[in-house]
Amino acid sequence: MVVSSMQQQEIVNFLENYFVSNHCEILERHPGYMTVQLTVDLDKQLMNRPFYWTYVEKTGGTPNPMKLTLITDRDQTPDNVKGDFIHFGAPRLHQIFESTKKLASYIRLYQQSPPGAQGNTPLFPWLGLNVKISYKSDRKRDVLMSLGLQLINGIIVEDFQEKVEKLPLTPKIPDHTYTMSPLVKPQSGINRLQQYVRGYVETQDHSWADEARQRWDEDLALLNSFYEGIEEKPESYEIEKEALKEQYEPKVLVEIINGGLFYLCQNTM
Amino acid sequence: MNVDFEFDQSWQGDFLQRIDDDGPWANWELYKLAYEVEKHQSIPEFEGLQAPKHLPQLTPLPHQLEVAKQVVEKMNGKAILADEVGLGKTIEAGLILKEYMIRGLVKKVLILVPASLVSQWASELNQKFYIPAVQQKKSYMWEQYDVIVSSIDTAKRSPHREIVYEQDYDLIIIDEAHKLKNNKTKNYEFVQNLKKKFCLLLTATPIQNRIDEIFNLVSLLKPGHLGNQENFEESFGKKSRSIDDHEHLKELVNKVMIRNRRDDTGIEWTKRKVETVPIEFSETEQELYDAISAYRSSFSGFASSMFSILTLQREACSSREAVYFTLKKMLEKKNEDGSSAVPEDMVMGLMKKVEQVTQNSKAEKAVELIKQIDDKVIIFTEYRATQMYLQWFLQQNGISSVPFRGGFKRGKKDWMRELFKGKFQVLIATEAGGEGINLQFCNHIINYDLPWNPMRLEQRIGRIHRLGQEKDVHIYNFATKNTVEEHILKLLYEKINLFERVIGQLDDILTRLDLGNIEDHIQDIMLRSRSEGEMKIKMENLTSIISFEEQNGGEQHAATGNS
Repeated sequence: MVVSSMQQQEIVNFLENYFVSNHCEILERHPGYMTVQLTVDLDKQLMNRPFYWTYVEKTGGTPNPMKLTLITDRDQTPDNVKGDFIHFGAPRLHQIFESTKKLASYIRLYQQSPPGAQGNTPLFPWLGLNVKISYKSDRKRDVLMSLGLQLINGIIVEDFQEKVEKLPLTPKIPDHTYTMSPLVKPQSGINRLQQYVRGYVETQDHSWADEARQRWDEDLALLNSFYEGIEEKPESYEIEKEALKEQYEPKVLVEIINGGLFYLCQNTM
Repeated sequence: MNVDFEFDQSWQGDFLQRIDDDGPWANWELYKLAYEVEKHQSIPEFEGLQAPKHLPQLTPLPHQLEVAKQVVEKMNGKAILADEVGLGKTIEAGLILKEYMIRGLVKKVLILVPASLVSQWASELNQKFYIPAVQQKKSYMWEQYDVIVSSIDTAKRSPHREIVYEQDYDLIIIDEAHKLKNNKTKNYEFVQNLKKKFCLLLTATPIQNRIDEIFNLVSLLKPGHLGNQENFEESFGKKSRSIDDHEHLKELVNKVMIRNRRDDTGIEWTKRKVETVPIEFSETEQELYDAISAYRSSFSGFASSMFSILTLQREACSSREAVYFTLKKMLEKKNEDGSSAVPEDMVMGLMKKVEQVTQNSKAEKAVELIKQIDDKVIIFTEYRATQMYLQWFLQQNGISSVPFRGGFKRGKKDWMRELFKGKFQVLIATEAGGEGINLQFCNHIINYDLPWNPMRLEQRIGRIHRLGQEKDVHIYNFATKNTVEEHILKLLYEKINLFERVIGQLDDILTRLDLGNIEDHIQDIMLRSRSEGEMKIKMENLTSIISFEEQNGGEQHAATGNS
């Protein structure tokens, strides 16, 4: 499966979502472009004018966050409109992606109980973790994984994000519900999931790593033969050797994209 | 599992803190978005190129994509890119760089290019590839910026040298790497000591010719790939001139080098339309030329004086200003004993003739032609004095022009280009000024003076006849009748069909011939021939050698392309 780049409409939706979720008012919406009033926070995140903000805060002046115009379809945008052209590889979009990831690292949500439930509903704590597994040598490939760990019975579930997105969730604990205390502490939870990921990775095919090591060996042999017979190897030899290691050494890197606590009704997962 | 496993520990600290502090928590919409973003940015396969998806504005040619793919997938990011001139090596390098950056394998990049190309590289990487490349200007920049462009000359000197060696570059790109073919130079030594994780060497000229040069270049990239120097010399020896003699060597070289030939790429090039514009001297101009020529016979045998006369003749074909300028310099030259190095009366006499010249027929023709063309035109001249005169003369005739010289700083060169692209109709360039700027938006060139090195002519034409040129290119060669200039045109250039060629072809041939400096040969012929007949014969010899090599040399080298 090859992931396709985002289509323009997806990008438009994404941008709107991003700004609205960050409490920015969308001042203008047109088929090809939009203008947004940034909040102080977003201005600081995106517009790269730290001196202005230092100045405003020191002098106690009125903060004046900028408006931003984003063009998603140049053909539908009149010539006199000035703004950032946004497409999949655009630096501004990339910046917004990074900002999204940064702003959305940690979450806590409660499931709303189905209507007609009797009395107080217990909510069970889950630790949800979205991770990116990268197989890296002189080449790289990534696999995403979303896991959920129930913090009372220790059950681990895959595709947690997809499953949880189907549920009605709210950031404040709803009426007529109460949360069950976890038996597994969050720290231990993270460790358990780490073990799980490791276990998963171990079952995967690692011929990619063997092949990388082979390429490494070949190049190292070449390097050695080049300096063969030279007793005191010059600095360039060590430098090259180190470079080969950095280039080829196979590693599996697991990065946490985001995660959080989810209080869900019994038997939801 | 025997692979290092590293689990990100940085996330949990803040997480546990937020549990304690009861917040702040992210917004669910954003949280979902973040996961979605990661899905789009992740690369599920080792193989294949991700870069094109991130560059919707760029349409790389098939051969460029092929090159990028091959370097990343088969050559592990260490390669010599040696496509023939005009096929877009910068694009290939940009694609490869972008690919590695997207995959997160490369973050810090060092790009070493000729000084005249620094700004062009930086701006192309920014505009075409959205790579934030900066031109190195101050010492602190090496450390602060991830992607930096500089010249080798700057980088190899203190204080930069030390700072550069301290940095940890993931990818090093070197343009015009054929200049590193000699391993005894300081430049070579500097590059050799750079740590090369991934590395691209770009070279425009064919390097198949000299085995020791190949060895040096490949060893920069991958020490040991061709064995150590002793073994190499033993196996391949100094006796064989060319790589074609060794299948095995060719194979090894092909593993680290990619060379596409124009014909393989399937690109359709626009045509070159050449016109010779004969110029007739007016009476006073002819008198000046004749007066100079008269001294030729009286000085025969004194090479340096002969050379000066020849120079003056060529200058007389250009403008009287050029002649005057040289005459003045001659007067200023003194011998050790203080006496003048040049017969003063000769010089004074010629100066009088210069003063008597009333018009410049070439310039007049140029104005006529430019008005006829009614589009942007580049004029190439050999002489700065002519350049200044032309600017003035064109203006007198209502034609706006900008000058372009090698001595201009990068910023000024860019500025002149902008002006030329904008409201100014003509660009007047002296030879050295031809390098380093992209002028494909223009498709008319006037060779106001003809250089005596066909390669320089090629390079001039190559400024506008390259990938990206959408129209046929018109070349107008001015040659004054019955002068040395006309001889060069008729006896050399037209004989070898220089103007009808495709880019880079001549480059190939001349390099294979290993004639040394062809301009010296030509000058030699012009200087030493005692009669016009002798000159004609010698020129014919030269052109025959070139034609012969073209027909026969071509087949041998076809095998060294990448298949």
